[in-house]
Amino acid sequence: MLSSDEIETLIYEAIAALNSERDATDQIPATPETALFGVDAVTDSLSFVSLITDVETSLNVDHGLDISLADDRAMTRPISPYDTVATLRDYIVELLEDR
Amino acid sequence: MSAFGPEVIHGHHVTLRPLVVADAARTLAWRLSDRTTYLNRGAETVAEQSAWIGSRPRNERNFIIELRSGTPVGMVSLIAIDPANRRAEPARFLIGEPDAVRGIPVAVEAMQLVYGLAFDVLHLQRVYGTVASDNRLMIKWQKSFGMQEEGRLRRHLFLDGRFQDAVCLGLLEEEYRTVALPRMNALIRRP
Repeated sequence: MLSSDEIETLIYEAIAALNSERDATDQIPATPETALFGVDAVTDSLSFVSLITDVETSLNVDHGLDISLADDRAMTRPISPYDTVATLRDYIVELLEDR
Repeated sequence: MSAFGPEVIHGHHVTLRPLVVADAARTLAWRLSDRTTYLNRGAETVAEQSAWIGSRPRNERNFIIELRSGTPVGMVSLIAIDPANRRAEPARFLIGEPDAVRGIPVAVEAMQLVYGLAFDVLHLQRVYGTVASDNRLMIKWQKSFGMQEEGRLRRHLFLDGRFQDAVCLGLLEEEYRTVALPRMNALIRRP
């Protein structure tokens, strides 16, 4: 199973892919605290969905893990799993542990 | 009530209300901003934009996206509504006030409301559209919500100073229910 650090790296790779299409002055920082969703988010809707899709694709294609990061389970959590890189990482760890 | 659904469509975060001539100056400013690289060229003046709004055909629904506060933040349309073949094209999707929507899933909910109009109200079987091939984020966004790539029109668009392919995308009614709706719901956290 992927470790928490490996999942975080995978999220950073998705951020790097986004940054490759953004201006040098508009780069998304790759840190656990980086806000992905919500009032402090550094991503707009297009970028956020792109990031989620890239992470899902990597989990699926590169690691054979068929999980969805946007489904009923994510919707019903009291705290959004999309708030920051760290909450997204922890959510993926939780999904993998429950498989 | 329009021939094609309710005049106003309410969501949790946004409302879609009809585009009217009084929106000409605001929507022109949005369309002339640097965020519209991938939209087709349109009106250049408020008068032209007013004329364009006033001449929309009956088989289109053109909306202003408003926050629940009433603040206009963007536009979206459902065009080429074809009841005989039960299809239509979501189009002219533009968030004009990105700072006003930060942290609010406006784009996702606006598109969900358009899909709801198409599939739940008008009982269409299919929505479709084209996206410029350079607009990779939008292609990924649409595919993430269930759109399937159905083809490619080579050098179909002259945008941003050069010819680009148009990527043809389509979403069937069952894909809306099994893919688009669950994923959109997950990203639209209720207030």
